Amino acid sequence: MGNLIGKEVEAFKVWAYRMGKFYEVAKEDLLGHWSVLFFYPADFTFVCPTELGDLQDFYEEFEEIGCQIYSVSEDTHFVHKAWADASETIGRIQYTMLGDPAGVLARQFGVLSEEEGQAFRGTFILNPEGKVKAYEIHDMGIGRNGAELLRKVQAAQFVEEHGDQVCPAKWKPGEKTLTPSLDLVGLL
Amino acid sequence: MIDLSRISEESPLLDENTKETLKGVFAKLDKDIVIKSIVDLQEEKSAEMASFLKGIASFSNRICLELYEVSEGAGLEMDTSHLPATGFYIGSSYSGAAFHGVPGGKEINSFVIGIYNLAGPGQELSKSTVKKIEKIKHPVSVKICVSLACHHCPGVVIACQRIAMLNPLVKAEMYDANLYPDLVKDYQIERVPLVILNDRDTYAGPRTIEDFTQLFRDAR
Repeated sequence: MGNLIGKEVEAFKVWAYRMGKFYEVAKEDLLGHWSVLFFYPADFTFVCPTELGDLQDFYEEFEEIGCQIYSVSEDTHFVHKAWADASETIGRIQYTMLGDPAGVLARQFGVLSEEEGQAFRGTFILNPEGKVKAYEIHDMGIGRNGAELLRKVQAAQFVEEHGDQVCPAKWKPGEKTLTPSLDLVGLL
Repeated sequence: MIDLSRISEESPLLDENTKETLKGVFAKLDKDIVIKSIVDLQEEKSAEMASFLKGIASFSNRICLELYEVSEGAGLEMDTSHLPATGFYIGSSYSGAAFHGVPGGKEINSFVIGIYNLAGPGQELSKSTVKKIEKIKHPVSVKICVSLACHHCPGVVIACQRIAMLNPLVKAEMYDANLYPDLVKDYQIERVPLVILNDRDTYAGPRTIEDFTQLFRDAR
């Protein structure tokens, strides 16, 4: 599978769990707003609740910028509910948890470990047209950071609105003045 | 006014190649320009700027440099709250173009072209664009926030300051945002170039001089 930037999410329909209820979620539900698909290996593991809880800590801020979070594992929506009932961390999650037991979504985004039947830790930022604007895929044990993900979504939204002709700035008070870089070609 | 003999004209920001290129550009100047700068010589960036400006002024007898103490800034028309502040003038008349901070990195280009546009033949500009610029009928205050490493920024500074030079109602001042945390905080600046119109509306990224002219005409 090649580079996924620009890939449009393909048609799908899966069952999901959210705050005590079950829903069907299809491609159309991901359109019209920014989305994050947040794959993780399996429910009832140790790293996952830490990551998913961290993501919940930033959920309000994702909502404020018009971005919906969808966690995805190869468990069923029933297992998601059982995990939410059993774990305080998972029980407070407000975003939608997709069940992908047939691997439809994980295969589509190239994150399914066929041998283990689990998803690698893949994060996909989709624009309102359902196209991938940024993504990262970690091996099983390597966790992710909710704050960094929020920054990436904001950056993707900024570029979508203003184009890529802006320079991100990291302000460093006290930094030395840069040596002049004179290049008048085309200016005179 | 500060006695210029106190200032060294050996600026570490001006190497031999840069000096030679600038002498060539400034040889084309056909009007006298006054560069007025307000500096606090106790402060590192101001001292750096004073030395840089003295070096620049030494390359052409068309360039006259005047350095002012902080207490002498009133009446210079440019923003005097973000130092060092350096404006371009024809005689005592403010051109509307100023720089806050030291124009190192990529911003040397907007500084040099600013001098060339005001005191030299200037970059080519169509008559229709000049007419549109002259039709801006209300005061417009433009802050262009940059970082010195930003390659998109000088073009925005050049365009906005060209408009200012052609219409006395427009003021276009560059700010090295890294030096002014108040601007970064107030306007939540994370990316540059960022143009702030009338201390209110912000616009990110480059535009053509025609687009900026329209933006300024529409600004209220």
